[in-house]
Amino acid sequence: MLTLMRREAYDNIVYLVGLGLVAAMLIVVLISAAFEGMQEDYFLPLGLLTFLLLLGLYALGAAQMYGDRANRISSLLTTQAVTRSRVLAARALVGLLAVLAVLLPVVVTAVVLLWAFLPPLDFYRRLLVEIPLTLALTAFACHSAGLLVGWTTNRIRLLAGAVLLVTAVASLLWIKGFGPDVMAVLLLFIAATLLRTWHTFTSTSL
Amino acid sequence: MNDNPIVVENLVKYYEGRCVLDGVSFVVPRGCIFGLLGRNGSGKTTIIRILLGLEPPTRGRTQVLGQDSTRLSAQTHGRVGYVAEGHHLIQSYKVRRLISLCQGLSLRWNEEFFGHLMETFRLPLDRKVKELSTGMRAQLNLALAMAIDPELLVLDDPTLGLDTIARRQFLELAIDVIQRQGRTILFSSHILSDVERIADRIGVLVAGKLVVDCTLDELKSRIKKLRVIFPEAAPPDLYLTEIVNQRQQGREMVLTVANWNPQKQAILETFRPESCTEMPMSLEDIFIECTRPATAAVTEDVARASCP
Repeated sequence: MLTLMRREAYDNIVYLVGLGLVAAMLIVVLISAAFEGMQEDYFLPLGLLTFLLLLGLYALGAAQMYGDRANRISSLLTTQAVTRSRVLAARALVGLLAVLAVLLPVVVTAVVLLWAFLPPLDFYRRLLVEIPLTLALTAFACHSAGLLVGWTTNRIRLLAGAVLLVTAVASLLWIKGFGPDVMAVLLLFIAATLLRTWHTFTSTSL
Repeated sequence: MNDNPIVVENLVKYYEGRCVLDGVSFVVPRGCIFGLLGRNGSGKTTIIRILLGLEPPTRGRTQVLGQDSTRLSAQTHGRVGYVAEGHHLIQSYKVRRLISLCQGLSLRWNEEFFGHLMETFRLPLDRKVKELSTGMRAQLNLALAMAIDPELLVLDDPTLGLDTIARRQFLELAIDVIQRQGRTILFSSHILSDVERIADRIGVLVAGKLVVDCTLDELKSRIKKLRVIFPEAAPPDLYLTEIVNQRQQGREMVLTVANWNPQKQAILETFRPESCTEMPMSLEDIFIECTRPATAAVTEDVARASCP
């Protein structure tokens, strides 16, 4: 499994580096916003960077599957001591690790800033748990959507999927905010997309 | 240990409504080199892909090393070496990296044998796979398949694109592998002389049907090509059962007959031929005779009736 995960990470290093850069920009904007009293001017860049992060994770998932289909990578991998389920599990795990690696520094920064600049109220403590968790699930949902849509040779479908799915998932946050309800919806979405991807990937010709 | 590493039962495959495999059944016993022959599009690659779980069957059942092909475990995959037609390796990888990947994913890795193969083939480790020639890719694919010490080696037209010397090297390696006890090889090829050299059992596919499945010796002993010279013009009413092919020109008639026996010889002698000589047949000759569309049905009946 580790060999498969290393291969996935190495082959998609461009996306991982890109995600790291977006996370770094997000941290810079967060720090600036905190020091300048969290003015409304920062909401737009924060929102855009978050959207870019979600788009990046969708792109990572889509690239993992699209690259496989275009280069017939799984048809080589599954003739080694590997099953299709393991190949897919490695991809999902790399996506999950990317989500954690990207969001963890952002969350830690946010926690430190909140601790330093905001009064110690229960309301903020709740936010510290709900916002990162919801964000992480949203990010993983975007990666899962990328895995599902990426198993295609049609680039238009990939782009349309990016715009529609990432916008739909991100708008869920916009409309419902952060909280247990949204987390439940996102968990269902992730389960459904991963199940569908697994079914397609394990039953198709390689 | 399974006695039949490959079992194919009534395999049917349709592609977009077109029948590619039509009820194919055969088994490959342990230690056997099974040569699967057939013209382009006859279904050889499809059978191999279904066996390895790369393609789902429409109907029927296939087993590899005792496991259903649609549910092969990682352990079973790890005991099968596969050289694909066209050598689908990861083109963007350097050779060194591809080797490292395959080594990392293998259950067993015979470093000594692999090193010997790499030395024999002299493959450049620092070049990308896409920069290798077809022959070099074939050699790399073969070396990777053999490095895992496979119990079952599946070779789908492996010598395609190899020059004569590389082909000879490959055949010698295949023989080397079979000599290691218990190894089984399923080998599909267009180059019949290669198959003739190493296979001990032959399957011939014609339009998705397996028309021949028997040992090479049996096949050669069953199908006879005879040149019969008559004193005058060859009789137009000469009839023998199981004639695979018949050509006549003046006094000469060339007959290819399946299951040649004393009864058939007696019938032929009633036409009082001046001479009757047996013409030697290579596997290629037999293959050409068997895959003529009009003769496929006759060959199928014959092959099935008499093969164990």
